[in-house]
Amino acid sequence: MKTRIIILLCLCSSLAVLLISAADNRSVHFADGKLPDYIEFKIPAGWPKPPTDIFAKNRLSEQGFQLGKKLFYDTRLSKDGSNISCANCHQQFAAFATYDHDFSHGLNDQHTTRNAPALFNLAWMTKYHWDGGINHIEVQPLSPITSPTEMAETLENILNKLKKDSAYPKMFKAAFGTAEINSQRMLKALAQFTGSIVSSNSKYDKVLRGEATFTYSEQNGYAVFKAKCAACHAEPLFTDNSLRNNGLPINEYLKDYGSMKITGKPEDSLKFKVPSLRNVSVSFPYMHDGRFYSLGAVIEHYRNGITVQPTLDPLLTKKIDITNTQKNELIYFLNTLTDTSMTKNPRFAK
Amino acid sequence: MKSFFLLLPFFFLSFLNSRSSINLSPPKTGSVKITCVNTVKGKPLELNSGKYINSFGEEYSISKFKYYISQVSLQRGKAVFWEPENFHLIDEGNADALHFSFALSAGNYDALNFMLGVDSIHNVSGAQSGALDPLNDMFWTWNNGYVMAKIEGYSPQANIVNNKFEFHIGGFMGENNVLKNIALNFPAGKTLNIQEGKTSEIIIEADIDAWWQQPNDIKIARHPVCSSPGPLAKKIADNYIKMFSIKDVVNNYN
Repeated sequence: MKTRIIILLCLCSSLAVLLISAADNRSVHFADGKLPDYIEFKIPAGWPKPPTDIFAKNRLSEQGFQLGKKLFYDTRLSKDGSNISCANCHQQFAAFATYDHDFSHGLNDQHTTRNAPALFNLAWMTKYHWDGGINHIEVQPLSPITSPTEMAETLENILNKLKKDSAYPKMFKAAFGTAEINSQRMLKALAQFTGSIVSSNSKYDKVLRGEATFTYSEQNGYAVFKAKCAACHAEPLFTDNSLRNNGLPINEYLKDYGSMKITGKPEDSLKFKVPSLRNVSVSFPYMHDGRFYSLGAVIEHYRNGITVQPTLDPLLTKKIDITNTQKNELIYFLNTLTDTSMTKNPRFAK
Repeated sequence: MKSFFLLLPFFFLSFLNSRSSINLSPPKTGSVKITCVNTVKGKPLELNSGKYINSFGEEYSISKFKYYISQVSLQRGKAVFWEPENFHLIDEGNADALHFSFALSAGNYDALNFMLGVDSIHNVSGAQSGALDPLNDMFWTWNNGYVMAKIEGYSPQANIVNNKFEFHIGGFMGENNVLKNIALNFPAGKTLNIQEGKTSEIIIEADIDAWWQQPNDIKIARHPVCSSPGPLAKKIADNYIKMFSIKDVVNNYN
């Protein structure tokens, strides 16, 4: 009898503990019980896990993604009359870079001072922008939105415009539980959209999965790539996401010293982020200032154009030895990194 | 085995006891209100209209004065009582942003501690809300991180556009870290006394005059702008750490 009472007591206490923890975990934001449709962020087979989980405090959902997409394509994020959305400079068909522009156009046709980077596989990055100055995907949009030469708008004005819209309050409610529109939710939704853009289905990926085969030239080019380029443009992301000085002579007009502006350290002078080579054939021009318009010009830089500077990357102190034949084969290989299932995916389109 | 089961209900009871929401004997609580009075050389700051002179004879006026206070705690001897994690943006331009309150157990306290700034984690954790909302114009969009404290104003000695000087002080990493822990004792003979259901107030004075000197001479003519983390920001932060003092403690006024 005594044992039974004890067991009963134990059961009751466990139940109470369970109830208390359940009450703690209930979502206060979704009081009416309408949870969004959560999505699992899928890591392509064989890829490393992202260094940090960008969705850990911003749970990915279909409604959050759709809200982020609407914001990405909405010109109300820029100063009235300028008609600039994120997509003006990040065009899907150019892997979300600006096609054929060294510098993008902002308010009143002002130019930016750096080439708009392509947007994909952002979930594997811990730093953003060419100089690594952005430390989290959610806060990146603040920079182009408020920059006087880009979208030139204030957060306050944007939020007021969104609040007046007929669709946004409903979309914020669907994604975040209430119709409240604030900067945190706007930025989290944008991160759900941009962070979901994954490029992992190029011909190269299909070859690795045994679904396609390289041509003779592509295969040779892959070997050249692995021997000469992969130390920085590491597979499968085709970047190690580090910041390096790749020996470009400084543009005397722009005087852009890259990462040094962020860290204030001379040893970071002229260091810029290593970009991914995925989709490289559609995201020209190349380099932080878009100075090269062809892959041939880029390879030529690494063959003959490297300027010796104190912070030059140690891997580049010797010119990269590539024959003319290898150069052509390398370009054939780089063209296999174009992923039309991403650049033409209606899910990411307006 | 049996004795283990016998003990289980006691584990449960102690578990309950550790949770404030279901505390078996709730502590008596009142609240403390912290009010910031911003001054220059001890006189209340007058935004825009006040004319001031620093120790180098430079004339100036102040158009903005904002800073973050976080990790607030009160001390009773060696015991420390924390405000639950919160960030307060003190803004001279906004009367509602010059004070904040939180619940505190009844009893006497003899010192106030806080951090001037926003801890490193919140500088790198994405979009924040409330006092940390980037709307508040205290977040660097090009070199991410919070401005921990800022003053802006005008001085004929500021030899730049519109004679406008601005010190935006931030930096949370390594050698550029400007986060400061401030420990303030109450004026002689004063103790903070919290009674159940009542509010007591601590009045903090923040004197802008501290920004210009000791240990580092900061002349507006030489440094009209500081807008990124680095050695100059650190020097200014080493000065402004001394701007705080407790002006008064008012116990149980309601």
